[in-house]
Amino acid sequence: MYLELARRNLQRAKVRSLLAIIGILIGVMAISAIGIFGESLKATVLESFEDVANELIVGPNYYAGYRYIDEKDVYQIEKLPYVESAIPVKSDTLLVESKKLKAYLQIYGLTEKDAEELFDAEKGIIRLKGSCVVGKNLAETWDIKVNSKITINSREFRVAGILEDTGARFDINPSTALIVSQDDFDKISDEGYTMVIVKADRLDHVDNVKKAIEERLNSREDKVYVFELSIILERINEAFSQINIFLMAIASISLLVAGVSILNIMLMSTIERTKEIGVMRAIGAYRTTILKIFLLEAAILGIIGSSIGSVLSLVGGYAIDYIILQNVKYVFQPGILFYLLLGFSVGLTTAVISGLYPAWRASRLEPIEALRFE
Amino acid sequence: MKVVELVDVSKIYQTEFYEVKALENVSLDVEEGGFVVIMGPSGSGKSTLLNLIGCLDKPTSGKVLINGVETINLSDKELTELRRDTIGFIFQTYNLIPTLSALENVELPMIFKGLSRHERRRRAKKLLSVVGLEREVDRKPKELSGGQQQRVAIARALANDPKILLCDEPTGNLDTKSGEQVMSIIKEQNEERGVTVILVTHDPTLAKYGNFVIRLRDGKIESIEGG
Ligand SMILES: Nc1ncnc2c1ncn2[C@@H]1O[C@H](COP(=O)(O)OP(=O)(O)O)[C@@H](O)[C@H]1O
Ligand SMILES: [Mg+2]
Repeated sequence: MYLELARRNLQRAKVRSLLAIIGILIGVMAISAIGIFGESLKATVLESFEDVANELIVGPNYYAGYRYIDEKDVYQIEKLPYVESAIPVKSDTLLVESKKLKAYLQIYGLTEKDAEELFDAEKGIIRLKGSCVVGKNLAETWDIKVNSKITINSREFRVAGILEDTGARFDINPSTALIVSQDDFDKISDEGYTMVIVKADRLDHVDNVKKAIEERLNSREDKVYVFELSIILERINEAFSQINIFLMAIASISLLVAGVSILNIMLMSTIERTKEIGVMRAIGAYRTTILKIFLLEAAILGIIGSSIGSVLSLVGGYAIDYIILQNVKYVFQPGILFYLLLGFSVGLTTAVISGLYPAWRASRLEPIEALRFE
Repeated sequence: MKVVELVDVSKIYQTEFYEVKALENVSLDVEEGGFVVIMGPSGSGKSTLLNLIGCLDKPTSGKVLINGVETINLSDKELTELRRDTIGFIFQTYNLIPTLSALENVELPMIFKGLSRHERRRRAKKLLSVVGLEREVDRKPKELSGGQQQRVAIARALANDPKILLCDEPTGNLDTKSGEQVMSIIKEQNEERGVTVILVTHDPTLAKYGNFVIRLRDGKIESIEGG
């Protein structure tokens, strides 16, 4: 019944109630839509790193006087539990020349099988028999096509393929790489294995693999360092979460404005209804009853505004994702529910808190003073 | 039994620039079942007196006892319950809640008391038929005439079966015919159901309804007639 009473009082001042609802609605929408966008952005970025998440990079510990990783150590790593593959990589910075350009570039030596596992060819094929493959960016800037010829350290190579840009990696960047077979590499450089790309069979085994490698190879001296790429994912995750919280905090300023408008509207309402409050007190309403009625009004405004705001934030999130990410597949995901609930509860809380002071003031009115009010 | 007892009651309104002695040393007993008409010119302190009896206001000095209970020491909650259960108010300006229908207005005191929906509906309908408004139950106050609104207000005042009915100029805004209708309902409640009525007015024609007439002037009791 108090609910009914509150509802009718809101209906009595339709325009005013509507404005309050719109205020809350916009605030809730801003918070939730930005939350959804932030989450989508994070998911998009994380997805591009998904392939490398269960990778570890093992490198020689230069600080203890190691320059390369031994072949037998590579073999040991391969045999460790949970290790799916261990790809040893040689690399050196060598003079590369094409028809028009020359530069010192990072050259990698990989077996053809390993290169095929790590990369896909966009044009041509991955074939490393006296030939090489190059990254897309490099090919574009150097104007290199399939079957072009380049010389590396005065030795001629035919370009067999151009790599597809499969997103960022931390071991070998597929857009700028220049890869030859290890046999060919030995002909142009004296360098040994400078890193081993290790893949754990599952993401949650990465830690175990890291420990096992360290135990096996670093038992006497720290020969190698092991770097988990999943740490980068965690950092990205953290960074985006923080950005998201920051953006939502900014969005909630609009809710603050809505809160002030509710405060204002409710204060006006208590003043207008002073006499009614006096009547209700005279015929037996407790102070707490008056408080309840006014808080209910604020809560109703909050619930309506927040509900509509939550629904509209899906639309808003969809729009932002569409415009900025050109991809809306992350809008309708269970994780988004959190942002809808967050927006809803922040909206409702704002409304109720804003209603608190007017409701309290209404309940403190002395019955006789209130009755005398005209 | 004395339902209302005032002992040496004074009420002084303190404003910024002056003070008003609205009531000075008023003592008064009202027996159960009585019909007391308090008469006096405008500004003589009638409303002030009624508000003190109705526990809406506190005296500057003196004692107010309702049903033998000293009201000075009661908490706001206890005073609220006293008003809700023992006292019915009828105001000159009806004071109905504009958003509620006639029926809901009558239900309101019973809602405050916590009666079940079914019970208060039943009782509100009965009370509205007592005041002759069975056909107007669903109307909002603004769809009713002044006389009808005042009758709804009477039904509301009777909702929780009060012992005392306090009426402040109940006919003040009504034409003669509606005024008489309202007065006869109040009189009927007094005679048939034994409700104690205290009515204040400046209209001398209402004196005939009371079995006591108290005349008030400048915050003091001038005379008491009847008995
Ligand atoms: N809240 C108030 N503040 C100051 N003076 C008041 C107040 N209420 C009433 N008065 C004064 O007290 C006197 C008695 O008022 P009231 O009881 O309303 O008289 P009545 O109902 O007989 O017309 C009047 O002079 C009035 O101006
Ligand atoms: Mg008066």
